[in-house]
Amino acid sequence: MERTEKIGLGVATAGHVLLFGLLSTGFLATPNPLKLNSPPMDVSLVDEIDLKSTAPQISTTPPPPSVAPETGETAEPAPSIAAPSEPVVAPPPPAPRPAPKPAPATKPVERAAPKPPAPKPAPAKAKPAKPAPPVEKTKAAPAKEKAKPAPPKPAAATGKGKADKPRGSQLGPDFLKGINTEAPRAAAPVAPAASSVGPRQKAALDAEIRRQLKPHWKAPTGADAEQLRTVVAVELTQSGALAGAPEVVETTGTTASNRAQVKLHQELAVKAVRLAAPFKLPPDLYDGWKSLRISFDKRLSQ
Amino acid sequence: MTMPALTLATDAATISPLALFLQADIVVKGVMAGLLLASIWTWAIIIGFGVSLGRARKGCAKFENDFWQTEDIDRFYETRAKSDLPSAKVMAAGVAEWRRSTAAKTIDRDGTRDRLATAMSSASAAEIDRLSDRLNILATIGSVAPFVGLFGTVWGIMRAFTSIAAEQNSSLAVVAPGIAEALFATAIGLFAAIPAVIAYNRFSHGINRLEARLNRFADAFYATLSRELEAPR
Repeated sequence: MERTEKIGLGVATAGHVLLFGLLSTGFLATPNPLKLNSPPMDVSLVDEIDLKSTAPQISTTPPPPSVAPETGETAEPAPSIAAPSEPVVAPPPPAPRPAPKPAPATKPVERAAPKPPAPKPAPAKAKPAKPAPPVEKTKAAPAKEKAKPAPPKPAAATGKGKADKPRGSQLGPDFLKGINTEAPRAAAPVAPAASSVGPRQKAALDAEIRRQLKPHWKAPTGADAEQLRTVVAVELTQSGALAGAPEVVETTGTTASNRAQVKLHQELAVKAVRLAAPFKLPPDLYDGWKSLRISFDKRLSQ
Repeated sequence: MTMPALTLATDAATISPLALFLQADIVVKGVMAGLLLASIWTWAIIIGFGVSLGRARKGCAKFENDFWQTEDIDRFYETRAKSDLPSAKVMAAGVAEWRRSTAAKTIDRDGTRDRLATAMSSASAAEIDRLSDRLNILATIGSVAPFVGLFGTVWGIMRAFTSIAAEQNSSLAVVAPGIAEALFATAIGLFAAIPAVIAYNRFSHGINRLEARLNRFADAFYATLSRELEAPR
């Protein structure tokens, strides 16, 4: 190796080391202004979303649903004492009144029947009058009433009243009233709830619907297929099931190269809706998701 | 493997060659190290060759100038022929052959002319050979380094794809570091190859010019000696 080559080797090595060091210390690094403009944002990916309406009016309407069950339970103790006395004394005068009162009395029998301890309460409570009602109940035929002439006759009058009432009477006499009075009341609270589907609820609903659709939606691949966007109109029942077939409203983003994919895109979108149904959505926001327009595109599958 | 890739992705704005090198696969590392050595070697040759070629050109010009101005070739030969300039070597070969051929009693003029021409052209060819010894290295590096870098890049990208497959995620944060370190191999290859190709073309041109100058000098010297042969003694 000649002297000039030794000099050259030394200079080249020094130059490379210098260049390497400069690059390592970020001499030519491009400053990233975007880094400063967008501070990091914490994003947590969760599967479960708490969909709770924040509308204040909803919490002010607890009474209506509680009417029916309460009558059923509270009525039990009262008739157990009254039932034996009243059917004997007061069948004739007012027709409607005796009917409800024995009715609850039969309930314990019915309920107790499947259980083994059933016989115990039955004899204790209703030795005089009870044998009749269970027979009518179980068979519920007028022919049997005729076969047992003497005792059932007074009871038959009441029995006929019972025959059609036991079903309704399980919920108590106030039940129909409650419904009648509730009907207007129930309509009233729903209205504010519906109007309270605000932007936040809507966004939460959208996120939830998208979350439930996501596993079933698979966008077709191909040239420009990611530009396709199919809007599907979906009608849902209160239980979240589909009310009618989902309809394709439109498909946008069609280009010459993805025209062949349009049909497939629409079919897959409808299929995704069908597979995702029934949707599990909060019933109190039903107005918010009764009829949906869901748009399917590449982003939904990511 | 994931963690350094993620940390790189966060500050990818500053591309540190050291970080890229350390993250690379062993094959890509080897390619990068080899190319870096090739680059150092290339520049060593470029600097050394440039210095020696420039020195030879200037020295030859000065030597030939002095040679044609001198009156006594024998004395000039005694003083200047010991230098290692190509022109001096050519002149020394010519004078040595001349002395050997004219030492005999009877001179074979044609044979002497042939021998003079052969001696001087071979001396000039030897000098050019000696000078251009390193040029082929530049040519090799210039033509091969891009391919070696490309090999490293292909290997690195294959590795990046396998990492995509392993993570089942094609987001840019997974792909980008692998591809960046893979492309770094091509960058080093080009970094070594471009100066090598430029220097090769430049130096082969310089060598050709020096060879032409040496041949002209040899021809002129040969003409002088040939004229001298015909002079009656």
